[in-house]
Amino acid sequence: MPDAALKPAHFYILLALSRDDRHGLAIARDVQALSDGRIRLWPATLYGSLEDLRGRRWIQEVSDHPADESERKRYYRLTRAGRQALEAEAEHMSRVARLARSRVGPRTGEAG
Amino acid sequence: MTEPAPHPLYRALLRLAPAPLRHQHGGEMEALFVERLEHARRHGRPAVIRTWIYGALDLLHARAVAWTRRDTLLTIAIDERKAFMIGSDVRFALRSLARQKSATALVVCMLSLGIAANVAVFSLINGLFLRPLPFAHPDRLVYINETAPKWNLDVVGVNYPDFVRWREDMKLFDSIAHFSVGNFNLWDGQGAERVRGASVTWDLPRVLGVQPIVGRTFTADEDRPKGPPVVIIGEALWKERFGGDRNIVGRALRLDGTSRTIVGVMPASTSFPDEVRLWVPFAGDPHQPYQSYDGDAIGRLKPGVTVPDADRDLKRAHQSIWDKSDKDHIVSPFVTPLREQFVHDYRTAASTITGAVAMLLLIACANVAAVMLARALARRREMGIRLALGSSRLRLMRQLLAENLVLAAIGGVIGLVAGQWAIGALVRMIPDELPRWAAFHVDARVIVFSLAVVVATVILFGWAPALHAVGGDVRSAVHASTSGSTGAPRGRRTLWFLVGGEFALAAMLLVCGALLVKAFDRVRHVDPGFRADHVLTFSVPISEGTRSKPEQWVVFWNQLLDRTRRIPGVDAAGLVTCPPLGCHWGNFFTAEGARPTPDGKDPVVLVRLATPGYFEAMGVRLKEGRFLREADEQDKQSKVVIVDETFVRTFWGEGASAVGRRIKTRGKDQPWITVIGVAGDVRHYGLDRPMRPGVYFPQAADPSATMTMAMHVRVDPESIVPAVREALRQIDPELPLVAPRTMEENLRRSLALRAAFSWMLAVFAFLAFVLAIGGAYGVATYLVTQRTREIGIRVALGARTTDILKNVLGRGLSVVGAGVACGIFGSLGVGRLLSDALFGVSPADVSVLAFVVAVLVGTALMANGLPARRAARIDPMRSLRTE
Repeated sequence: MPDAALKPAHFYILLALSRDDRHGLAIARDVQALSDGRIRLWPATLYGSLEDLRGRRWIQEVSDHPADESERKRYYRLTRAGRQALEAEAEHMSRVARLARSRVGPRTGEAG
Repeated sequence: MTEPAPHPLYRALLRLAPAPLRHQHGGEMEALFVERLEHARRHGRPAVIRTWIYGALDLLHARAVAWTRRDTLLTIAIDERKAFMIGSDVRFALRSLARQKSATALVVCMLSLGIAANVAVFSLINGLFLRPLPFAHPDRLVYINETAPKWNLDVVGVNYPDFVRWREDMKLFDSIAHFSVGNFNLWDGQGAERVRGASVTWDLPRVLGVQPIVGRTFTADEDRPKGPPVVIIGEALWKERFGGDRNIVGRALRLDGTSRTIVGVMPASTSFPDEVRLWVPFAGDPHQPYQSYDGDAIGRLKPGVTVPDADRDLKRAHQSIWDKSDKDHIVSPFVTPLREQFVHDYRTAASTITGAVAMLLLIACANVAAVMLARALARRREMGIRLALGSSRLRLMRQLLAENLVLAAIGGVIGLVAGQWAIGALVRMIPDELPRWAAFHVDARVIVFSLAVVVATVILFGWAPALHAVGGDVRSAVHASTSGSTGAPRGRRTLWFLVGGEFALAAMLLVCGALLVKAFDRVRHVDPGFRADHVLTFSVPISEGTRSKPEQWVVFWNQLLDRTRRIPGVDAAGLVTCPPLGCHWGNFFTAEGARPTPDGKDPVVLVRLATPGYFEAMGVRLKEGRFLREADEQDKQSKVVIVDETFVRTFWGEGASAVGRRIKTRGKDQPWITVIGVAGDVRHYGLDRPMRPGVYFPQAADPSATMTMAMHVRVDPESIVPAVREALRQIDPELPLVAPRTMEENLRRSLALRAAFSWMLAVFAFLAFVLAIGGAYGVATYLVTQRTREIGIRVALGARTTDILKNVLGRGLSVVGAGVACGIFGSLGVGRLLSDALFGVSPADVSVLAFVVAVLVGTALMANGLPARRAARIDPMRSLRTE
């Protein structure tokens, strides 16, 4: 895995699935809540991303969904690889944040 | 949780998304969108609109991702740090555009110009041809009239007994009605007014499907000979004269000296025929002994009936008339769509203008493309670096799209506003020629058209060239532009191609515009055959209710002539039935010793009755013999006639002497009439219209209840009008003075449509010219800037100024030359389509072609020369230091 960031959309989807299995609509609501409303996933973006993540085998569709929900809703679950990617991204982000804090801060107004 | 209701519109929009995504997740996507929409509804209308825009863009974005799948698969791991957030793209676009103020302003100007012109012209076309007529199921309304091709007459008017026969025998019509437009003298006790009205059969409202606001429409009983005197008034008249009083029914209106009872008021929006203010029953007699051939008919087809079917049905209904009284099928009925009848004058003009404005948009688009391409080439390095740093092509493409959409939004809004303003100006240019029902405000059709134009322009001409910046491989992009040489030959070729294309289109438009202006100028200089300055005309209609006998009319006309001649400043005054540019009354004549006509058809002869003073007042020239005298007036049955030059040419040949020869009206037992004089030709139907042979009879031979007075005055004609009005009032206060106008005004009106058409095209041609020159200048400047370093090296190595000039100019001028040559070649073809409007000016008119070539090449020389001169003065040291 190169030293590059995940798309925020992908990151938040993985994050939303980190506790338990969810369907698309619930993921969209979760992502909005997790990002303090900054990221709203629109339908094609959401389901396109889900397809992408599935293609990388970071998430998988599950069939043992609760019986009371309607048949056509697909549930998704984080895979082991997905969890690793999420953890790696979190690690990467904190590294970037540390780096940024060390550079930005005390020094001001150098560039004219 | 309840299932959100499905949304059909979003489901339709889903087609924008790639098929696999749609098939697998369509239902859930819809559910998510509906949830968003419901949330947005709580925040008001702007939020809902935003939701729809984001929803649609989201789907488009997914489609774009699918298109560039290969790219994204490679770069997906190092993609940008932002999610799909349109706001950031737009902000970035605004910043980027603001940085390049002049280029942005240029593109916005060109876009808004092209769009404004198109919106204006489309509104015009929409109002005339596309917007439905204000009646129920207007597509089922047809116009009916009769034609007599063997008599050389396109339209003869409907004979009432024929109409009655059709009404009985037709099968495919729901209903038909007969109407005849005329003018009425309206008298309200104080002032007389001439109002336009129509005599209609009682079933007209049924055909049109309209209802009165107040009262009722005519009954079949009222539509009979000697029926009760009733009238229906229009909304405008109702408001003006009766203050919109709802108890109007039963009140009286004095028309043409007869009192009529008002039975109803019709709404203004559905006034038919055009500009009519009141209606009276036609009250025709189906057994009338004569043939009327007067007026028109309108019909409503049964649902699903086509116009050709209806035409056959009508001819079948007419068969019994042919069998009985018209065995040679001289007169036959025809059916055309109602709208066709009213817009057919404008069809050529409208299609030419549409073509011109589309060309203008193309030129504007080519300019936008050129600017965007130049920008893209200049940004190859920026884009290359961003690509190298791991930005995805998709991300860059999206950002370029955002830039173009912002440009489109700004240009589109300005264009729409300017277009609205321009349509007002356009309509004012054609004052009273346009049909009343043609409305030109913005409707859904105009908006959809404008949006389509804007989006197509931006995607094709803005975004596509901009993609040059992200095309090609990263290494060459970065390398090419750092070296400071003139990279991207493909991009440069495209630029020159665009400039050449612009010049070709501009040349075509300029040629057409110049041809039309030249034709207009030629028309204006046609000798009208009458004096236009210091001649006042007006007509007076005698009310047949007060003066019913022709002898009374003659007395009246003599009184009027007497009184007007006594007004100070009046040199000559005379009366005529049909003044030039006025009306037409035709008949057929047999001439003694006439040559056969080339096509074997009898020519229609324009018949006028005049008093002796008319020729002098109107300034008609005498070519042979003498004009009418007072003595000629005494004869009850006319024995003398004046013919005009065209009459002589048509019947007896060029240069023949006509005085003393005899003519007679066609038909049995008509007396011979002797020609006593030949009058100069008068352009009766308009300066640009063909002539017909014409004759003048003495007025007393067949007195007319309506005549037009022509007065030659020494003073300002307008200043005489009150005195004339007073003279008329003294004879009969109930009679109105109709349309007092100078002949100059009449001439101007007769040319209004041609003037508007010619000047509109000239303006478009000028705009096209400005755009093309601007484009050439922009491209030349850009290319020279790109070559600064190369030119610097050349100068340093000893190239002379003239070499540089030659080098830079040569390329630009050869492109312009090729473009202009193509344009001139194309204009020869287009000009032929215009030939009807060219009034004898050849589409290959040498002076026009030479003018256009000189103007285009001359200005192109300047547009290329300025940057070339700048290039030639480049200081080699400074130029090498750039970059």
